[in-house]
Amino acid sequence: MSAVLHLDAVTRIHGEGETAVRALREVSFAASAGELVAIMGPSGSGKSTLLTLAGGLDQPTSGTVSVEGVDLASLGNDGRARMRRTSIGYVFQDFNLIPALSAVENVALPLELDGVRGRNARARAREALEEVGIADLADRFPDHMSGGQQQRVAIARAVVGERRLILADEPTGALDTETGEDVLRLLRARCDAGAAGVLVTHEARHAAWADRVVFLRDGLVVDVTGTDPAESLLESGVSR
Amino acid sequence: MSRLTSWRLALRLARREALRSRGRSVLAIAMIALPVLAVTAADVVISTQRVSAVESLDRRLGTTAAAQVVVPAEGQPVIQGVDPQAGHTSHGGRPEAAPTARDLAAALGDVRLLPERLGGVDLRTEDGVGYAEAFEVDLADPLAAGLVRLTSGRLPDDDGEVVVNQEVLDKGYAVGDRVELTGRHAPSPVIVGVVEDATWRTYPVLAGPLGSLGLDGPGYAPTWLVGGGPVDWDAVRDLNALGATVYSRAVVEHPPPASAIPAEIRSWQSDGPAEDVVAAAVLIVVMALLEVVLLAGPAFAVGARRQARSLALMAASGGTPAQSRRVVLGSGVVLGGAAAVIGIVLGIGSGIALAPVVQRWSSTWFGPLEIPWTHLLGIAGFGLLSALLAALVPAWIASRQDIVAVLAGRRADRPPSRRSPVLGVVLLGAGVAASAYGATAGRDGAYFIAASAVIAVLGMILLVPVVVVAVAWAAGRLPLSARYAARDAARHRTRTVPAVAAVAATVAGVVSLGIAVSSDEAQNAGTYTPMLPMGAATVTDYRTKADWPALRDALDAIVPSATVTELSGMVEATDDGGYMELTVRRDGEQVPLAVAGGALGTPVLVDAGAGIGALSMLSEADAAAARRTLAAGGAVVFTNDDADGAGEVRMTARVHPGPKQPAEPPRSATLAALLVHVDERDIAPRAVVSPALAERLGLQTRTVSLLVTGADISDRQATALGEAVTAVDQHAGFYVERGYQADDSTVILQLVLGALGAVLMLGGTLTATFLALSDARPDLATLSAVGASPWRRRAIAAAYALVVGLVGAVLGAAVGFIPGIAVSYPLTAPDFGGPGPFLDIPWLLVGSLVLGLPLLTAAIVGLTARSRLPLVSRLD
Amino acid sequence: MSVKQALLALLEQGPMYGYQLRGEFEQRTGSTWPLNVGQVYTTLTRLERDGLVEGAGSDADGHVVYSITDTGREEVAAWFTTPVARTQPPRDELAIKLALAVTVPGVDVGTVIQQQRSATMTALQDYARLKRSGPVSGQPSDLSWGLVLDSLVFSAEAEIRWLDHCEARLRRAALERPAARTARDVAATADEEVAR
Repeated sequence: MSAVLHLDAVTRIHGEGETAVRALREVSFAASAGELVAIMGPSGSGKSTLLTLAGGLDQPTSGTVSVEGVDLASLGNDGRARMRRTSIGYVFQDFNLIPALSAVENVALPLELDGVRGRNARARAREALEEVGIADLADRFPDHMSGGQQQRVAIARAVVGERRLILADEPTGALDTETGEDVLRLLRARCDAGAAGVLVTHEARHAAWADRVVFLRDGLVVDVTGTDPAESLLESGVSR
Repeated sequence: MSRLTSWRLALRLARREALRSRGRSVLAIAMIALPVLAVTAADVVISTQRVSAVESLDRRLGTTAAAQVVVPAEGQPVIQGVDPQAGHTSHGGRPEAAPTARDLAAALGDVRLLPERLGGVDLRTEDGVGYAEAFEVDLADPLAAGLVRLTSGRLPDDDGEVVVNQEVLDKGYAVGDRVELTGRHAPSPVIVGVVEDATWRTYPVLAGPLGSLGLDGPGYAPTWLVGGGPVDWDAVRDLNALGATVYSRAVVEHPPPASAIPAEIRSWQSDGPAEDVVAAAVLIVVMALLEVVLLAGPAFAVGARRQARSLALMAASGGTPAQSRRVVLGSGVVLGGAAAVIGIVLGIGSGIALAPVVQRWSSTWFGPLEIPWTHLLGIAGFGLLSALLAALVPAWIASRQDIVAVLAGRRADRPPSRRSPVLGVVLLGAGVAASAYGATAGRDGAYFIAASAVIAVLGMILLVPVVVVAVAWAAGRLPLSARYAARDAARHRTRTVPAVAAVAATVAGVVSLGIAVSSDEAQNAGTYTPMLPMGAATVTDYRTKADWPALRDALDAIVPSATVTELSGMVEATDDGGYMELTVRRDGEQVPLAVAGGALGTPVLVDAGAGIGALSMLSEADAAAARRTLAAGGAVVFTNDDADGAGEVRMTARVHPGPKQPAEPPRSATLAALLVHVDERDIAPRAVVSPALAERLGLQTRTVSLLVTGADISDRQATALGEAVTAVDQHAGFYVERGYQADDSTVILQLVLGALGAVLMLGGTLTATFLALSDARPDLATLSAVGASPWRRRAIAAAYALVVGLVGAVLGAAVGFIPGIAVSYPLTAPDFGGPGPFLDIPWLLVGSLVLGLPLLTAAIVGLTARSRLPLVSRLD
Repeated sequence: MSVKQALLALLEQGPMYGYQLRGEFEQRTGSTWPLNVGQVYTTLTRLERDGLVEGAGSDADGHVVYSITDTGREEVAAWFTTPVARTQPPRDELAIKLALAVTVPGVDVGTVIQQQRSATMTALQDYARLKRSGPVSGQPSDLSWGLVLDSLVFSAEAEIRWLDHCEARLRRAALERPAARTARDVAATADEEVAR
């Protein structure tokens, strides 16, 4: 199975000299289609850096980051932006919806930025909203939505238009347990449908939804748990 | 917490906040300091230019003389104030003999008197003849010290020599030349030195001993410089009684109490400026205050919002709303105080730097540098007041904020109030009604309309929030950047409304003033009456023995292709001191003609038909009829009455004899003349009579002017002709009819209005955009994460600028039309039954303000905005 | 673990015999804690001795049916409203293991922690997979089974969090220990000097 996201010996150093901070040290990492990978680690371990590198918002000091086989460093800023519009979806802890736009407009944002015409973009946005189960909130503004509803809109925005890579940075941080689980369910469903997902979280029970859990500490991968996707199909769990 | 402590806390917080967000603080300070700077600099320059009474002492008295005494009339006692040049009068009474120098010296206690003569001369120059200031006094005498300053050469030794200033030399003279003065018995002294005159800078000045410049004769009042000790007020009154006015150093330096000054003089010296000026000044100050408050408002609003979280925490810890208010007002005090100080200091510096530059364009010397400290205190107070007012609304909002919402991190303003738009509509309606009333109220309506304009603008400002929200609501169909900008602007009204209001107020002012100026111009153009047919010119000379051949030569030299026709007319002033008059009567009554004359040089043209072309008010048909009438020996008569063709008139030529001349009987003739109607504003001669008729009436005729037609006279040729003609004869004149020429000052005024509007609009728009962009950082980071290209930031910045500029400009233009149209009525009211009122709307100005400027501003903003989107920040 | 109160609560629904009770219990708890029939009958006997249940004769197949008494109902009510005490925590093998690993020289505690965490994480992933595939029909029995599953999830998560915490504390202690050792060495050599 081909890797949608591939980090090859990636190092990221902030600053220089005495005060240099090594956020990531020669980390190699891959996420394939249909696979949800969770990344856990204490604060300062480099999890968010890994995610920003995967999304093209930051450049590695050394090593390569490739999405769908394309080395992100070889694209310019414009190319990376286009990647984020079409191939990569981002979900944040703070939802990061634009308050001045309605839900459907927020979801249609990547499409509109890519030049898709208004009506077409809105139609596809409504489909995405239906997928996450809040089609009836399409014309509401973020100010009038609960946290869980806002996060669903953010997820819809991250999955609209057949994206192949979904990056989620602590998406359940601001939500209660029930709603958090719903979010994970959505992400899982998306990955089962063929996308590759990378989930940064510090809550183990959410990380457990992933096929593979990677532990980071001080910029290094210290452990990987989880079964091969193929094997998990044979396991039947506790019988009833 | 006591009042003082909470104010100290507020000021401390304000200071820290100001240092923390430098960009915003600089913006707010700039908005307030710039007007302060401009007004301060202007005040310094004007104060320096205005030479006070004390400073002008040395100019008129030199450095030594104690007083200057002038005998204006035939010994009639005079009444004067401190400075006789400011006004003096005489009570009448029996004229005595004029006091002599000895009388005056005796009255003053045997002091020395130095005679002086002040006046002017006509000087022959390279270009022709020019006027020059002149005075005669013994320059070597110690009493005359300080009146001139020798820069090269020497002072005159006798009355054949003079000194001049640089201006005279610039006109074609050099040291050693003889001065050529016009006038029959004018002397021609030799220039022996160059001086700087104490008073006049750009006028030519000649000075020499008595008799060197021919300044004697009737019209020159005897003048002396007085030596000796100080001449006090009592001595001045004594001399007044003798019939002389006195300008005394002692009196000017230590003026007598008001009670000692005669009542008449006191009533003239009104200290305050005219009522009109006060009203206009108040209006300007109010509008300027409004503008500054609106421009600086957004900066304070954003600052208050940044502090919202700290204020909410303060309230949650027990702070009162009043204390929250004080914190925001504190930033008004801090920034306003800083701005006032910076503005004043920089303004003084600019004034000092500018004074020499402005000096170059002034004709008199400036006084010593004067810094009007009391004015500056007032200006600083204005700056502080405007800062406080700008911070007032945000402060009030901060004291009423929803603490819970703020702590929960919700980013938006409260929903718009319902009351203020209603009030806004009411005020706007009142403004419209008052404008309509003022339009019909006659001359005084202008002030009424100005006041109503301010009311209308205030009403409009109250309506801005509703308009902004409406624009956002309608923005659903727009592309992304515009949709986002419009909606975000409506979500942050405390920041958007003042900026839009500032733009709208500016545009309203510019549009209404523009309409007023344009309409006035239209009236000027519409009521202009040409004196000659377009493109034609005349050379006139009123002297009896004018040198017409020489004038013709001058014409040939410069416009050889032109057709020159000699026009003859009745001579009004006869050779022996009398004058001749021609009256025309119809049915026993004088034919009415409001204005009889024109550029032809005579009120009665004597012509056989060739000169009809000079009469622009004749239609083709009338001109043909006129020629026929004149060929037949008749006359053409112009009248304000309705006229249709021929009518019977009786012309009477009467000679009013000069002194010692015998009276002559008048001569009359009755004839059928061609009557032509002209409006009361038109200029036409009284009549055109054929030569035969002129002889019958005994009119003295001579050539009165040369009519120049058939040539396209350029401006350069016109100037050259003017000088050439004056060279032949000082009293000759040259006039070419170019139709209505718009005054340069009008065009300049419109340009200045447009430029001012553009600057203020740019300022308001840039403020709003800068603040909006920094507010929008989180949204821009989201856009970046979702894949927006970096230029999206520019697009959004341009969209912001367009929203603010366009909405403000359209609103302002709509409101500005009302007082503009209203004021055109009283301003261009018809006078003397002419056409009017005029209404001319400067569509180019309005269009460029409403459409062009916002687009241009948006383009500038779009090009200069940074195009790097911020990163979503997260502390890992 | 005593299932006394659980069986009583089941009997409150209606009289049942032993095998029936076992079936009901396992169905409600997702067979997480399988019961031995003998254990059931022993408990029933004890309950009868304590007067909380009473025999109610036999049914058609010859099974002995038990029904709950009034005292039994009171006991059930009290059980539901009384929180489970934590006075005597059950022996936690993991906590004992780590406590010893820290003090026994020659054991790499870090590796112990890491390995345990991996294992628990894997188990957690299994539970998560179960939750995904399990029916969400909304029947009360599905809900109760879901709650039991969640308790496993949460305790596994709690264990992982505790392991993370131990790891952090150990790292901090490792940084402080050399400094402490140096101080003691210095004091010791100083004493030696004085003693000499």
